[in-house]
Amino acid sequence: MLKKSVLALPIALAVIGMAYAAPGQKPEETLDELIKKSPNPGYLTQSPQNIMMLPDNPAWDVVEAGEKLFKEARGPKNVSLEKCDFGKGPGVLAGAHTELPRYFADAGKVMDLDSRLVYCMKTLQGFTNDDAAIKQKHGSDSDIMKLQTYIASKSNGYAWNPPMNHPLEKAMRDAGEVMFYRRAGTMDFNCAACHSQSEKRIRASVLPNVYDPLDWSKAISWPAQRTSHDHVRSSQHRVLECLWQMRYPNIKNGSDASIALISFWTDAARGQPAVLPDLKR
Amino acid sequence: MFKKTPVAASLVAAASLLLITGGCSATNTGKTAEAKPAAAVPAKVDYTKMTPAALAEYLVLESDGFDLKQPTQEGTTGRHRLTQDEIQKACSLGKGKEVDDKTREKVMALAAASIKYPEGGIKLGDWKKGRELAWSGYGFRTAHNPDDHVKGTPGGNCYNCHQLATDRTGGNIGPALTGYGARGTSPDMLKYTYDVIYNPHVYFACTNMPRMGAVGVLNQQQIADIMAYLLDPNSPVNKQ
Repeated sequence: MLKKSVLALPIALAVIGMAYAAPGQKPEETLDELIKKSPNPGYLTQSPQNIMMLPDNPAWDVVEAGEKLFKEARGPKNVSLEKCDFGKGPGVLAGAHTELPRYFADAGKVMDLDSRLVYCMKTLQGFTNDDAAIKQKHGSDSDIMKLQTYIASKSNGYAWNPPMNHPLEKAMRDAGEVMFYRRAGTMDFNCAACHSQSEKRIRASVLPNVYDPLDWSKAISWPAQRTSHDHVRSSQHRVLECLWQMRYPNIKNGSDASIALISFWTDAARGQPAVLPDLKR
Repeated sequence: MFKKTPVAASLVAAASLLLITGGCSATNTGKTAEAKPAAAVPAKVDYTKMTPAALAEYLVLESDGFDLKQPTQEGTTGRHRLTQDEIQKACSLGKGKEVDDKTREKVMALAAASIKYPEGGIKLGDWKKGRELAWSGYGFRTAHNPDDHVKGTPGGNCYNCHQLATDRTGGNIGPALTGYGARGTSPDMLKYTYDVIYNPHVYFACTNMPRMGAVGVLNQQQIADIMAYLLDPNSPVNKQ
């Protein structure tokens, strides 16, 4: 009896996941869906201005630039990224980002969107770490952010559903959970200090709760336009900024440490639809 | 400052060595011949053979995930910031876990031993200076944008988590302290307030609140100024 229900759970989750796969849905419709479902929508509704602006998200310009870059033959090998496999087969972008991080056999490791993109730019297009196309990680004018924002936009409305089939996927997710609770730095902070209760605030900003998948689904919906930065930002950038406030040293972009955290946080939003591209404070 | 224990780190290092000699790394199994020259995979340790805690410790301190040599404002390095002291380790509780009695006692004793009092006794400072310190979140941040303590004084970060006076919006991770001065300024209340700012674990084991005095974010005079902001009848905290 017990065993049966344990087996049924992942199947049920997979079915829910498929139910949300909504091609053509707009980010504002996905957000509306999250708000309507939430008993504690304080985080989701905190900025009426951002909700109003979402249809005119400046990130759409970045998506457009990213699509052009994605399809353009580039790099020393002069090929496009259309053969890049983000986990659902070469060139398949629909719902790919919501199933990252995942294990990639060709690279032998668990990768997030950022590191998978860099992997393809190197292996398919022949770019190296010294090329500006790979070196510049942040800002709406960077190739990396244009491409990430485009790729992720194809996962709007899809439920977060990072695979946990490979032992490394599970190991990274579980280590990420430990890191989420690991207190360190000048202020003794861990991630949980700010992200484990509903409708808590730092000054006026309502914080997302990792235990509330509705909150968390929007919270991890990166890339998102940050209105206070006037740039589109990535998951990696969010990790960097949280750890900066926590008084930690610089975390390395694409490191396993960062991917483990992102694996845990993506798993925490499992089953809820992604808002992509999002607009955040 | 608290003593850092390198025990866990060396345990992880020892475990990694065992895994190297043990061979059979899962990170190699899925590799295709074509991907081999990419050499993006440090196939030294098998993550799947480690406990989540050991892997987390490895990722933070051994895997080149952080800039461990990054200089800090207090003259240490990133590695020092990330290495847990006893209180941090004891208070890294997982989902839904609460601190047990034995740990609580230990944490409270460690906290009590950390507190140093002003030579002339605890006195209230200048509430106006305390107000600025309570509001400021500057200081000790490193990463991609290090705070320069020559250009700016590190603050107490109080408003991030507490509502204090009502002229500014404070956070609500900690309790609201509006009207705190109603508690009076008896020696006991002065000591209690000083202790909580200096090292709150002495009363609230494994609280989320930082140890502002014990780790050297605030000095004794700055704590006295923030105490005045909380307790002085003329402070906006008490003028509602």
